[in-house]
Amino acid sequence: MSQASIFIVEDELIEAEDIRQTLEKQGYTVAGSARSGESVLELLTTIHPDLVLMDIHLAGILDGIDTAGKIRNLYHLPVIFLTAYADEITLGRAKYTEPYGYVLKPFDERELHSAIEMALYKHRMEERSKENERTIRILANAIPDAVMLLDKDRNIISQNDAMARRLGLDYTRSQQGCACPFDQNGMFPSLELKIQEITSSGRPIRFEEKSGNEWFEISLILIPGLEGRNPRIFVQFHDITAYKRFEEQLKKEGITRIEHNMEQFQILNDQIRNPLQAIMGYVNLDCVHYRDRILEQIGLINNLVSRLDQGWVESDKVRRFLLVRYRSASDDFAPDDVSVPSPGEKSKGV
Amino acid sequence: MYTVLIVDDDPAIREIFTIYLEMRAYRVLTAAGGRECLDLLNTQIPDLILLDMMMEPMDGWETLLAIRSRSASRAIPVIIITGKEATPEEILQYGILIEDFIVKPVDFKRISASFHLIIEKDQVLRREIERIKETEQDPELPGEYTHLLRLVRVAKNLMARSRDRPWADQIPLKKHEERLQWLHKKLGFPDLLLQRDEIE
Repeated sequence: MSQASIFIVEDELIEAEDIRQTLEKQGYTVAGSARSGESVLELLTTIHPDLVLMDIHLAGILDGIDTAGKIRNLYHLPVIFLTAYADEITLGRAKYTEPYGYVLKPFDERELHSAIEMALYKHRMEERSKENERTIRILANAIPDAVMLLDKDRNIISQNDAMARRLGLDYTRSQQGCACPFDQNGMFPSLELKIQEITSSGRPIRFEEKSGNEWFEISLILIPGLEGRNPRIFVQFHDITAYKRFEEQLKKEGITRIEHNMEQFQILNDQIRNPLQAIMGYVNLDCVHYRDRILEQIGLINNLVSRLDQGWVESDKVRRFLLVRYRSASDDFAPDDVSVPSPGEKSKGV
Repeated sequence: MYTVLIVDDDPAIREIFTIYLEMRAYRVLTAAGGRECLDLLNTQIPDLILLDMMMEPMDGWETLLAIRSRSASRAIPVIIITGKEATPEEILQYGILIEDFIVKPVDFKRISASFHLIIEKDQVLRREIERIKETEQDPELPGEYTHLLRLVRVAKNLMARSRDRPWADQIPLKKHEERLQWLHKKLGFPDLLLQRDEIE
């Protein structure tokens, strides 16, 4: 296992040498050393250690604390402070630079070693976590749906670019949540109810809602917090306006098509209704004189039915052809088995 | 003795209707299409016209409009007897021009029994309208009354004959009936005119 490389910042030569020897004995590589804040910042442009050990009281304009702060911001390196005494004010200031630990001088070797290992570990974990966050944010911003995370008070913890756009938020702020209550304009009236629902049931919810001229499919997922406190709610808005419009159009077209078919059917009706009318009339007259007329009208209906039969036969031929041509491997039946009776077969001879 | 004109392109229909009408002592005229019908109306004025819809080249609606636009034939009552159902748009548009709309096949024996009632009511209406002309009444009202009388009758008959008319809601029947009642009172017309004559 390769040992980490450590940079020493210590202005007392003897101390620095002592630290160097200790580190090398423990198997670390000493990446370099500096005696002041200014020089370490300059050296870190070319040297890339895994960790910086820094005396809290450095001579020079930049003391240890300020330097550590800069190292964190510029190079994202973990810094461990070496301090001769626990000075309350100093420690207070030091907090803000997020040090990974303190080691008191004169230091205990084992203490130094474990402080360094813990700092390295913590740093690795943090970097991984930041990496994950970065990845999630890139992914979140890549999707066209507007997504956001709400806390239990309905404030927005974070949102992606699409959501920021929708809410009219300044882009520069879209890295953090706007910490504002969502839906101030009441664009989605059902949302509050659905949030209440998911908070009690815990099960994901998906529903559709119209807002203005747009349709959305809204998904809610509850992310439970630690020990059930501070749950967060993930909300996704998927734009289905185009789909809904298409659906409406289809329905309209479908209806139009049905109406057209009915119209065609009506015309056919007349060709049946007239002979039926005539037959009824003649039959009611109950006179043998009109027998020929009745048979004539019956003939007309028969012809019509035959024509319908013919149409069916034709379409049956087409159907068989298609079955043979495009038969899939898993077809259960051979084309010769397709023997569907045509409608006229049963009713021949009215 | 009343004269009835049958307009239908199917000769079997013309024949069977003629038989039944002559049995009831009507004089019968026939025409095979719109053109023939209009030509006939130049020289003769029947008391009632039975009109089919599905005809070529002039269809029933066209023929109806032509009949209604000529002064000689404007007031002749028309009953449509046809094989095709009417759409609500057609009812609203043409319902004011006809006495009834019947879909084949019909028991012609039964419906022909009520033809003379329709003819008589129509004659009463015409007399009343002439009478009104002599008075101070608004001249627009009798026309509106005639239209509403027809529309209400047609709509009610259609609804009574087939229960599942989806378009029934599209015709504000109640509103029209109320207006009709009001006009009836205002014009002082006899109640005979409002009597329902159940054809079916």
